[in-house]
Amino acid sequence: MIARLELLRLWRSRRPVLAAGALAFFVGLMLLGFYTYAQTETSGAAEFEYTVENPSYFNGLTFALYAFYFGFLLVLPIFGATEGGAQIASDTARGTMNLYLTRPVTRARVFFTKVAVAAGFMTLLVGLFLSFALLIGLLLIGWGDLDLYPGVLQMTDRHQHLDQTEALWRFAFAWPAASLALLAPLTLSFLVSTWTRNAVNAVGAAVALYLILYVIAEIHLFEDLRPWLFTSYMSYWRALFQEEIDVAAMLRDAASVTGFTVLFLALAFRRFRRREER
Amino acid sequence: MTASSFPPVQISGITHRFGGRRALTEVDLEVTAGRIVGLVGPNGSGKTTLLKVTAGLLQPWSGSVRLFGSDPQRDRVAVMERARFALAPPPLFEALTAREHLHHLGNLGNLGRAARVGRREVERALDTVELLHRADDRVGTFSFGMRQRLTLAQALVPMPDLLVLDEPTDGLDPLAILELRAVLKGLRDEHGVSILLSSHLLIEIDELVDRMAVLAEGRVIFEGAPMELRAEGRGVEVRVDDVERARRIFEAHGIVVRTVVDDALMLEGELDLEGARTLLRNAGLDLRAFHTVQPSLERALIDRLRRHRAEDAGDDGVVGAAP
Repeated sequence: MIARLELLRLWRSRRPVLAAGALAFFVGLMLLGFYTYAQTETSGAAEFEYTVENPSYFNGLTFALYAFYFGFLLVLPIFGATEGGAQIASDTARGTMNLYLTRPVTRARVFFTKVAVAAGFMTLLVGLFLSFALLIGLLLIGWGDLDLYPGVLQMTDRHQHLDQTEALWRFAFAWPAASLALLAPLTLSFLVSTWTRNAVNAVGAAVALYLILYVIAEIHLFEDLRPWLFTSYMSYWRALFQEEIDVAAMLRDAASVTGFTVLFLALAFRRFRRREER
Repeated sequence: MTASSFPPVQISGITHRFGGRRALTEVDLEVTAGRIVGLVGPNGSGKTTLLKVTAGLLQPWSGSVRLFGSDPQRDRVAVMERARFALAPPPLFEALTAREHLHHLGNLGNLGRAARVGRREVERALDTVELLHRADDRVGTFSFGMRQRLTLAQALVPMPDLLVLDEPTDGLDPLAILELRAVLKGLRDEHGVSILLSSHLLIEIDELVDRMAVLAEGRVIFEGAPMELRAEGRGVEVRVDDVERARRIFEAHGIVVRTVVDDALMLEGELDLEGARTLLRNAGLDLRAFHTVQPSLERALIDRLRRHRAEDAGDDGVVGAAP
């Protein structure tokens, strides 16, 4: 019953509609960015126009992958952090947490139901984002095989070619893989959320922490720290877009991200179980 | 002792701190079955803290809380199956309707099919607090008074054995307060519900409760029936032309002077008219007026609080200024 109540609250909060709108807007912005790039930076080398069988390097699948990559790094973790803040700190600040805690349900049930609802919502958002990116890319830019070249985004260190059907399958697998990776910032935000009684502070702190850790993981100066940062492992899903997938490396990174997720969850629950509700 | 023979609330020697500040000190309180107990005291005296400790939301530093013989923190699920709380300010899910609120909250927990809260019980609770006509409106559109009533309604599904209410009359108009009083009396008399409530409204306390506890600076300074507090405040008021001399005379004869206001002295305990007149006449003073005073609950409470503060400050209990 608590899950139904949480789902009803989530739906009535309009967060799903707002999030879907924000994701669609972000995909639109990415489309505009790529259009500008094709027009001004490549001197016509990249075609940006609709063709049913787009033969150019830059097609709908390339757009979808790059849009998803940016969204995964910048937008989706923020939604994750917001969700964590909304679930615990917001209920604490409004006093509504006490409505649960003065009912015959365990703290564990309250906590893990909230985590499950937030994780489900996050997975839905990842799926929505991928769908938007593919839909807009394929409809407005065009079909074709997926070709990736070494470049600034470091998606690959050599040319990769996936035919269209195979590439669409890889996108389908990227959904659960990316959702799993995003559980780490989501549970980090739950952890922060159990320590503060203000949702804005919780969201702000969780986003700031994620961005700092992400930047540290990207800077060579801090190479020794990388194994200890969850952000180092989050992009493991990108390996799905290689011709030959290194399954062992992918599983290793997925296990690392899951390990961080479990650690954050355990710490968050420990805090939630023991804290006072003032 | 069987589970049903434990008192609904038994608080023993509770002390609680917020950082370095002591919020409750050695508090003892008991609510026996089928009784209404009121908790009164000035702002910041520890009433809400005590109710939150009772709900298991705060962990006391020392002492014990037992609801129906169980610890509300360790055995929370078992306790919350019988106890219900309406805390202040009324926390509600803004986006839900009143009906959804009661339906979902009432069905939280491992209830069997037979125990599930149905439409009829939800409507009974909403009708009890006069909110049935707004059952399908979202809580976010409710006034403070309506939210207060809905908070009470959510505490009535399913019907509890113990109801704990924090300032239930806040934000209610006089008619709603009268209705609330009738509802609470009905819960006690018809359903045997035990009630612990805090309130600033002493008229409510006087009319409603069987026993009351007065909290001041985190300590229980009085525990008993409202009548007992009023009796404690009973005294004799005498008016004389020289109050300072009169005070010294009374004190010299072991009579406690509670307050001195203008030309009037409030004396504690029983003193007859002839005895007072004789004492004053022997000292050359005229007795202008004499009457016994049975204070209102409010007056008795204020006197009790002032005495407590004076005792704490090491004063002699004589206050020279009018309230």
